[in-house]
Amino acid sequence: MMRATIRSRARVAATAVLLVLIAGVSIVGCGSSPKTTKVVRVGHLQNDMHQLAYYVARENGYFKDEGLDVRETGTFNAGPEEMSAFSAGQLDIGYVGAAPALTFSGQQMADVKAVAGVNRVGSAIVIRNGLEGDDVTSLKGHTVAVPGYSTMQDFLLRIALGKARVDAHDLTIMTLKPPEMAQALASAQIDAFIAWEPYPTMAVQQGVGRVLEESSKIWPHHPCCLVVVDSTFLAKDRDTVQRFVRAHEKATQFIKDNPDEAADMAARFTGQDPNVAKKAMATIEYDTSLDQKAIQRYAAYLNEMGVIKVSDPASFTADFVEPGMLQGGGR
Amino acid sequence: MSRWWKLASPVAVIVLWQVLSSTGALPQHTPSPAKVVAGLWELTTKGLPPGYRLPGHLFASLERVLLGFAIAALVALPLGLLVGYSKRLDVIVDPLVEALRPVPPLAWLPLAVLWFGIGLFASAFLIFLGCFFPILLSTISGVKSVDVTLVDAARTLGAKPRSIVRRVMLPGALPSAVTGLRIGMGIGWMTLVAAEMTGVKSGYGLGYLVMTTRDLARYDLLLADIVVIGLVGFLLDRIIKVAERRLLKWR
Repeated sequence: MMRATIRSRARVAATAVLLVLIAGVSIVGCGSSPKTTKVVRVGHLQNDMHQLAYYVARENGYFKDEGLDVRETGTFNAGPEEMSAFSAGQLDIGYVGAAPALTFSGQQMADVKAVAGVNRVGSAIVIRNGLEGDDVTSLKGHTVAVPGYSTMQDFLLRIALGKARVDAHDLTIMTLKPPEMAQALASAQIDAFIAWEPYPTMAVQQGVGRVLEESSKIWPHHPCCLVVVDSTFLAKDRDTVQRFVRAHEKATQFIKDNPDEAADMAARFTGQDPNVAKKAMATIEYDTSLDQKAIQRYAAYLNEMGVIKVSDPASFTADFVEPGMLQGGGR
Repeated sequence: MSRWWKLASPVAVIVLWQVLSSTGALPQHTPSPAKVVAGLWELTTKGLPPGYRLPGHLFASLERVLLGFAIAALVALPLGLLVGYSKRLDVIVDPLVEALRPVPPLAWLPLAVLWFGIGLFASAFLIFLGCFFPILLSTISGVKSVDVTLVDAARTLGAKPRSIVRRVMLPGALPSAVTGLRIGMGIGWMTLVAAEMTGVKSGYGLGYLVMTTRDLARYDLLLADIVVIGLVGFLLDRIIKVAERRLLKWR
């Protein structure tokens, strides 16, 4: 294990040095800017409304302004695949959900640190047409789909049920991948689902259900997507990570300042109808800060469920979170 | 040669795998055979998600695969006999079959959910697609392989078309059709992971378990699951092989 780690680190380090050399040589070859361009291998999730800041930073040229040559190494369908690309040493920086990032870190399957937040909240419980009720107690006796066992959405559903004093055993909780959820809801195969945007808004737009509860009500400002960095890369090249985070912060600010333009970009990024994009974005808090306490709460839950096995969720989270890259050092 | 030689290749792979794991030659995070055995134990006793134990996953998958396979056999065997017998029908059906056959069953997933909802029938449909074409094509080629002189001889002896099919065509096509059933079962079982991506209300299934292990980064349990899928696939094939030997004893 130890030897393997060192070997892989050496490999990553060698790759990083090589890439920097290549980048350096190419710049010298062109004989232009004195600022060296840094190559960064970046991963993100496909069609994820939460990760709009990545697209904005790319399209608006913020990465380029920081002297970064962002290579889109992976567009992933799901967080676990993106995290296994980190395990394989294929990624330097990634936009990914807190759940897979913490799960892979807690099992020592990937060595990453969270350097910025991407968004807060932005999930919702959607209930199918024809079912009465306006709070989660109406889910009793029904079938509710979650994107996966121990995902943030699974956790949110359990928090909501706990608050409403509903025993989780009184409903059937099943796993279904979000693209299939609206369809299953329409045919009454499931009675409700909880998922990240844009799936709730899409289901509402298609007229197959209505929002029962926004995740911002269940757990205000709960953490969601994060910018994570390979630990070796961070240790070797803090400056590059710093530049990346700066571009990410600028893009997030742009989304906040120009909601209409950002919605158009979101529509292009996710292939959604601009209307859906705009409505979905309204439920998402684009926020770069890292809330260590909130992340720790989720890590403690994962530990309790046996998904990760750490002796102390508090120190594990403190090690996982690296707010020093943020302007003002986060909060 | 002793029967034990059959175990030589699996044992060699396991030993090599363990040696490579112990020396750190395998890519990082690849579980060792010892971890996989521990994983099998964990799946059997604790289950994943906790409480969902291995036998439950196994029986749920068997149910889906056997249903999809049975429907495929019931449709493909008679259709294969008909198409093999009638040249005209062959000409008509062939382009459709050849166009649909190469489509991976997983591609049908969203439509399977649309048509059959989530659960048993959507999964069985995807497995049906995996099983159907090998059974159909083998049956057709079985019928075609029947010696024409035998058919002619039967006809000149005054046999009716019905008895030609029953006495000459069917026995002649059977060996190839049974091979088709074996291949069909193999491909049907291979379709399992895709089939259970349609969503599983009960929370059980060996293919569904693959996705859970992925989400939870438990590659030891993933490999344990793969071992079970492989062994069960092997056993299913053996069962058909034994049945084949009994069925074709007359040869």
